[in-house]
Amino acid sequence: MPLDFTKPTPPSDDKRWKLVQATMRRWGNHHDALIETLHTVQESFGYLDNDALTYVAAALRVPLSRAYGVATFYHFFRLKPAGKHTCVVCTGTACYIKGADQILESIRQAYDVKPGETTADGQISVLTARCLGACGLAAAVVYDGEVAGKQDAASTLERLGKWVEQ
Amino acid sequence: MSEVHLTINGLQVTAQSGQTILEAARAAGIDIPTLCHHPMLSNHGACRMCLVEVKGMRTLQTACTCPVAEGMEVQTETDEINECRKFSLELLFSERNHYCMFCQVSGDCELQALAYRYGLDHWRYPRPYEKMAVDASDPYIIMEPNRCILCTRCIRACAEIVANHTLGLRERGSATMVMADLDVPLGQSSCVECGVCLQVCPTGALIDARSAYGGHAEEVTHTQTTCMQCSVGCQLDVISRSTRILRIHGVWNTEPGGGLLCVDGRFRPLYETRERIAQPLVRDHGKLVPAGWTEALAIVAKKLKSGRVLGLASGATSNEALVAFAGLMAQVGGKAGQTMPALPTLGFGQPAAVQDILATDYIIVAGANPLVYQKVVGYLIRRAADRGTPVALIDVPRGGLEASAVLSVSGQYAATVTEQAAQAQAPLIIYSVGLKPGVARALKPLAHARWLALAPGRNSLGARAAGLAPLEGHDLTSSRFDVLFFLLGEGSEEGGVMPRLDGAFKIVQTAYRSPLAEEADVVLPAPIWAERSGHVTNLEGKTLPLNPVVPMPDGVRDEAEVLDTLRTMM
Repeated sequence: MPLDFTKPTPPSDDKRWKLVQATMRRWGNHHDALIETLHTVQESFGYLDNDALTYVAAALRVPLSRAYGVATFYHFFRLKPAGKHTCVVCTGTACYIKGADQILESIRQAYDVKPGETTADGQISVLTARCLGACGLAAAVVYDGEVAGKQDAASTLERLGKWVEQ
Repeated sequence: MSEVHLTINGLQVTAQSGQTILEAARAAGIDIPTLCHHPMLSNHGACRMCLVEVKGMRTLQTACTCPVAEGMEVQTETDEINECRKFSLELLFSERNHYCMFCQVSGDCELQALAYRYGLDHWRYPRPYEKMAVDASDPYIIMEPNRCILCTRCIRACAEIVANHTLGLRERGSATMVMADLDVPLGQSSCVECGVCLQVCPTGALIDARSAYGGHAEEVTHTQTTCMQCSVGCQLDVISRSTRILRIHGVWNTEPGGGLLCVDGRFRPLYETRERIAQPLVRDHGKLVPAGWTEALAIVAKKLKSGRVLGLASGATSNEALVAFAGLMAQVGGKAGQTMPALPTLGFGQPAAVQDILATDYIIVAGANPLVYQKVVGYLIRRAADRGTPVALIDVPRGGLEASAVLSVSGQYAATVTEQAAQAQAPLIIYSVGLKPGVARALKPLAHARWLALAPGRNSLGARAAGLAPLEGHDLTSSRFDVLFFLLGEGSEEGGVMPRLDGAFKIVQTAYRSPLAEEADVVLPAPIWAERSGHVTNLEGKTLPLNPVVPMPDGVRDEAEVLDTLRTMM
């Protein structure tokens, strides 16, 4: 038989790759499907690692540099696994004035993590957002998807402390 | 295309519809400054240097992306425009390290030239002083991100000219930077080291590792010559200072490659590590010792007259030397041929030029490996594939092209490709020495196809034209030879037929020390590509000129001259 271009094999035999392949198939394996496919990878695996980017790029015939550029351009995509809990600190203007920077600094001192990083034990990921649209509640922090208003360094550390204790 | 009339700075200008204001202005001799624009690349509109005022438009427009329209009134140098340009420059300068006095392109830098032009003597914004690591992992190209202005010329060149797509942008906003693949060091990336990015960088962000600080534009000499590293015959702009070659650029818009070069043409010849032979050597008591030309040629002439001679030419030399070699061999009644394997013929279709790769609707690559042996042809095939031209491979080893192909088969299934290509208006068959007769037969229904035969080695077509046919194994073993004359040029032991003629007296004419030269009884020095004058024949069959860039070392003589001297001694 003519040597067909067998599609590149997924990085592992993890069943979740079937979901990724299904997304690519739905979009005709066309290179335009890059963002959709990366969404599926992140939904399935939680983050995009180099193996996943390499596989998706090869399967959709997209240059590696493009796949990486897209993955780093969008704030939504993460290249490292998220922690068990996520803490999103709003750094919009109102929250900033109300001390978002002090909240971040206190987290950094307590847990040695900067925004975009995860604690070494994989418990807490710290992220920032530019305005949650909850300026009346400044400073706002999102704890595992739940918006909490009028936060300061002490209340934030208290919430994070509960996560670590569990 | 229809004509469009507009005025630029009050001057009546006639342009073609579809042209940009920049193109129309430059055609009319009006200068508009640019940074991210490059004539060989797509328009980007990022640097804001080409801002112009168009009457009736709300804001200043980027001339490089704004198409001309009938009746347009354009101003290119008003106070407002100049203020904007200066402001953009100020932002560029304040973003990264642009302290020119430490930069190797200071004096030849497009960014610096614009800063002088707009009188930028200071900038008002604090520098973030973000330090980024210099990437010197590649032997030829150094990436210095602290000098990058993110014009993306290198990224566009990598994608649009070489179709390699190694470079891209990571992150966004102030964290944006040029990177390779998955943000890996350039030396570990998919970079093919063609160096086109170096040639288009407007600042000192991409540094040629060898020639940095070697000389400014005003101190160097440009010599156009033909690349001799394979049979494509790309045009080189060799930049030299005194007798030192600094670097090699491609010559834009020249056939065959269009200005694209590969690592073999741009970098490797300048990183030559083989030891040069600068005077004749003769074997004395078992050792090769230096000798004068008179002595060496006398020995050679005597031997050539005394026995049965076999002349072998590698293609790594000029047409003139090959003709003189064939003439000498005919004069001494010797057998002569070239060491490169025979190039099959297709038996149908019309010959094509290299640039036709970009103007066809179906490409078939058969029995060839252009990404390895004729890299520029390989890059052009990938570029065509990027534009949507289907590429089918027959008997092509895995190693790059398959990522651009729609189909890859072994020779026995060549008919499948023929079926697929049957609908094409102007299919192009690119083949080389690996084309099997069965594949040629299977492709025969594509009688309207054009073909491009990738000649093996360097100047094998020049050797062919001189009457030096490829030698088969039995040519060498059928009779005994007393003398072997090997015209090796600057080749090493390249592939092809290497005779084992143990008893024969061996004469090797070559530029470098090599295992073959070490076995010789007489070694005659030869010039290298940068010292040659003459011609080569490329794979399209075109005769292309060789122009000397630097003089030959003392003691080296041109091969044709030496061979003609020997003819007079016969």
